[in-house]
Parts: sequence; C-alpha cells; structure tokens
Amino acid sequence: MHRAVGSLPLAPALRTRLIAAGFQTAQELLETGPCGLSKEIGISKEEALEVLQLVRQECHGDSPKPAAASGTSRKCTALELLEEEQAQGYIITFCSALDNILGGGIQLTKITEVCGAPGVGKTQLCMQLAVDVQIPECFGGVAGEAVFIDTEGSFMVDRVADIATACVQHCQLIAEAHQEEDHLKALETFSLESILSHIYYFRCRDYVELLAQVYLLPDFLSEHSKVRLVVIDGIAFPFRHDFEDLSLRTRLLNGLAQQLIILANDHKSAVVLTNQMTTRIGQNQSTLVPALGESWGHAATVRLIFHWDNGQRLATLYKSPSQKESTIPYHITSHGFRDVQPPAVTPSAEDTEMNPRKRPRREEEQ
Amino acid sequence: MAAKKLRRTRLPQELCERLSRCQITTCQDFLCLSVLELMKVTGQNYYDVQKLLRKVSQACAPKMQTAYDMKLANSINPSSAFLPTTLSGLDGVLHGGVPCGSLTEVTSPPGCGKTQFCIMLSVLATLPVSMGGLDGAVIYIDTESAFSAERLIEMAGNRFPAYFDSDEKLLYVTQNVHLYRELTCGSVLKRIMSLEEEIISKRVKLIIIDSVASVVRKEFDTKLQGNLAERSNFLGKGASLLKYLAEEFSIPVILTNQITTSLSNSLATQADLVSPADDLSLSE
Repeated sequence: MHRAVGSLPLAPALRTRLIAAGFQTAQELLETGPCGLSKEIGISKEEALEVLQLVRQECHGDSPKPAAASGTSRKCTALELLEEEQAQGYIITFCSALDNILGGGIQLTKITEVCGAPGVGKTQLCMQLAVDVQIPECFGGVAGEAVFIDTEGSFMVDRVADIATACVQHCQLIAEAHQEEDHLKALETFSLESILSHIYYFRCRDYVELLAQVYLLPDFLSEHSKVRLVVIDGIAFPFRHDFEDLSLRTRLLNGLAQQLIILANDHKSAVVLTNQMTTRIGQNQSTLVPALGESWGHAATVRLIFHWDNGQRLATLYKSPSQKESTIPYHITSHGFRDVQPPAVTPSAEDTEMNPRKRPRREEEQ
Repeated sequence: MAAKKLRRTRLPQELCERLSRCQITTCQDFLCLSVLELMKVTGQNYYDVQKLLRKVSQACAPKMQTAYDMKLANSINPSSAFLPTTLSGLDGVLHGGVPCGSLTEVTSPPGCGKTQFCIMLSVLATLPVSMGGLDGAVIYIDTESAFSAERLIEMAGNRFPAYFDSDEKLLYVTQNVHLYRELTCGSVLKRIMSLEEEIISKRVKLIIIDSVASVVRKEFDTKLQGNLAERSNFLGKGASLLKYLAEEFSIPVILTNQITTSLSNSLATQADLVSPADDLSLSE
C-alpha cells in the first residue's frame, strides 16, 4: 500500500507524469480515484481506470498471505525445502556410476550443464534422459514428458527409438521378476509409441528462434503440465559464430539463464543444457574450457564435463552444490548411456538401482 | 526467421511505426532488447510488453513436432532417408547409408581414397531410385582441383556396365554433376550462400565439399593471434548454412577433412584438422 509510484510497472511516460504531479505512494493514487486522477494528470478517464486497476493488482500481489504460494515470492523454511527435495524424484541416466556422483540422477528444479568436445556423448545423454524421464513411478522414474530444443540438428529419431526400446525391455525384465499389479499396468502405457509421442521437439536455427522459443516455453509447459525435462542441445552453437557484440551476447545469455531458472522452479522440471568446449590460450599452454565465457559458468547449478582419456570416455562432476568433485568412466552402447562394467546380473541388485524407494518393502518381505 | 519484419507479425500498425523510428524493424531487434528497454520504446506497461513479446515470439518460433511424428515421417519414405554407399559393411554400420538431412564428414590421411569415395557417391546420386540412387544432380565444390571427369565416367562404366550401356547415359551423369572450383575460404562461403537457389533450379540431391581442410589450412595459420577466432567464425558460418540446406531439402552433405598431428605431452596422436570448434554432426 505504501509502495512508491516509481516502482510500479506502468508505462514510463505515465510514470514520469505521476511523479511530476507529486504522487509518491500507491495509496495516494487509490485515494484519488479515476476522475480525480484524470483531471490532475491530463489523461482520459479510461486510462486512469486502467492505471488504478494495475495498481490494485500489484498491491494485492504484495500483501503477505501465509497460505498463498505465488510464483514470484515464496517463503518457506529449510525443513520444508528438505522434505520437498527428498520427495522429489531424480531422472536416472542408466549409468549407475554417474547417478551416484550426481546424488541420484539429474535433479528436478535445477539447471544441469553438460560440456564436452564433439563426439563424446552429450547428445546421447540428452536423448537417454528424454527417454528416462518417462519411466513410470513404480519403476523409480518421474513419469514425465520431455521438451527437446535442438540447435545443432544432431537429434536422430532412430537412435531415440533404439534407446527407448532398450529401456522398455529393461522395465519388462523387472516386471517379470516382480510380478506386481502396478508394474504390469504401467507397462501397458509405457511403450515405444508413447515414449516417442511425449518427446516434444523444436528445431531452432539461430539465436532469435531460440530466444523466441524460450519466451514461449512457460505457456507451453502450462499446457503440457506433465513435462519434467527441458533439454536445450547446443546452447553454445547459435551464440558462438557471427556475434560481434559480445556484451549483447552476455546480456542475452544471462536473460536466458534467468528465464530457465524461473521455468525450472515454477514447473518443477529439470533443465539440461549442452555446451561446447573452446580453447583458452594461456601464457605458454592452451587448455580446453567450456565455451561462452566465464559469466555463463554461473548460470548452471550443476556442471558436468565429458572428456576422453586414452580412448575411455570420462565424466567429471565439475560444479555441484551438494556432491563432491569426482570422475567416472562411462560407455555408449547400442542401448544408450551405460556403465563401463555392466551391473550385477541378479535381479535384486538391478532393482536396488532402479527402485530405491522400493527397497524397504522388499527387505520386510525377506 | 530472424530477419522477419515486425510489420508481418500482426502487431498494430502504429506500434510498428513507432518502433521503426527507433530502428527496430525486425524480430531480431525486438527480441534482443530487455523488458525495460521495450517498455521505454513502446510506451506500454509491463504486462502489455509481455504480451507483445509473446506475440512476436510466436511469429518466429519453430513449430513443434513430437519424436513420434518424425519417426512416422521417416518410415513413410524410407528410401529417401539414406543414400546407400553400396559398400555393404559400411551401409550396415551406418544403418542404411549416408543419411539425408545431415552433414557427414569423411576424413583420412592423404591417399586413402576420400576423393574417390566422393566421385563414387556422385555417380550413385545420379542413378534412378530403383537402383538405389537419388535421381538428382550433384553439386561438387572442389578446392584441391582433384576431381577428374574421366575418372567419373570410368567408374560409372565399370561399376554399372549393365546400366551404362550407351553413351547417352554416361553423358547424363556428367551433365548432372556440377563442379565448382573454389580456391579461397571467402569464395567457398560465397558459393555455399548461393546454393539455395541452385538446389531448387537444378534439382540437386547431393552436395560434396572436397575438402574444407585444404582452404582453411592455406589461409589460417593458427599460430598467429586472432586467426583462431576468424577460422572458427568461418567454419561456424559454413557449417550452419550447410546444415540448414541439408535439413531444408533433406539431402546429404558430405565434407572431407584432412588428418593432422596433435602434439600432446604423451603421444603424437592423429587428429582431424578442422578443430572441435566446429561440432559437425557425424552419422553413427
């Protein structure tokens, strides 16, 4: 109610006029009423009414309501956050070593960035995640849908079909080992066609299309409320060449990062970005560092760097607020992203990886 | 899409005129501004500016497809998804052949047969669909002057003697392979930019660039300061143009590359000349 007039989201011209006329708080505006306002400022009565409606909307949004969870400002205790995070699922990657160093998998509501040289497996991981996000809850997944924004054109549908088939087979094996009602019912809807139809694909050719698509994503996610994963494959590619104005680039990237953070939080989905590597030329040596500059490093919450070492692919957790830095090897097989040693063949060991939530019940049974 | 004029995005006329007075005429200019700048320039409040942003974004955002629709589209026309190379082992590994709609890079040390492979594919592309070809023309951008028309005819005649039984058919092949000799990076880029209209007018079904590495190596010495950035710029521009052409027309694009030695602390390993800054998509 005592909000300063200068901070209201009005048109700039109107705002300057109001301040010049001496109005200082929103309360004064509301007290004056539309007719008085129009006479003092010299605007039409309809415009004055619009101004007042806007002011009222803003002020009601600001007043503290204990139970309201408006998207813009949420207050909660760390205990509530802890409970929320524990109840939240992770998107598994089918490579148990990678899931372990990430603390369970790709976290929802956070931005994860995957950097690496070409050919090391970033797009493979993205395609694997687009399939894994759809795993039903009884198998340990989050039962969500995926949005795939492609800027490089490296999305191959046949490869996704292979990965999806392998995932469905894996779930079928588990269902056979357990013979439970909800497993079998979930398997009826978890098929190749349903997996492919829930991956929403956008091909952005340049950075303007990418910006436009990210502006439209909140509406898209509100319509498709089951989306739990947004992948942007190749955030660096449209921004790297043909950009003379580096400060504009930094500004656009920061805006993009902020929008993605808001998106991840409001819609409880994970955002995965892939980045390229560039050479930084130091005094007497050159090192490979993630592209897009130092300021972009702050955008992602979790950063993974994929690299080669004598023919073995390695993944390093480079930045994470909760897990420690470590490196693990991984493989890309015809079934997708996998560990280097295949996990133990016995079904019980497999299930503990897939269904951490199911573990207590099975121990009781045994 | 970026250069789409705001006039065509169904924004109100007076608004477009007001924006053009501030030099904002295309979607690109509009979307590059921050929300505060947009409020100043359009003179509207925050919520209306958000609505305008959404309208302009809808005008230039890409269309959504589900992965399932893409798979159906591929399976309806399987012959148009690949160009078989007629080397059965290679076709098996590539799931059918050189994929249409994406870039493929062929690289090897000198003398292994890259140019021969390219000439072979040119012949295959001009064959009718019934024989596994694409029944179209070929654009061959040659930077090393290694293309030989005689070799083309020799290959065609010896590989498919039953089909090429008359001189007319051989002539048809040579008429459909359009050769461009470009010797500098700038001319290669200009040629790529002019390809769109040629592809439509000449019914081109295959683009070959042999080789990207030789022009880049000649012109950009990476030991000099600033050359690395320019080189990446050139490669990035070329790559994105070629990707656009490949996807738009669903044709394969083949690039050849050379091998260089990358000296690291442990061993001298063979590495592709065109550096990883390029990120071309390779088929599996």
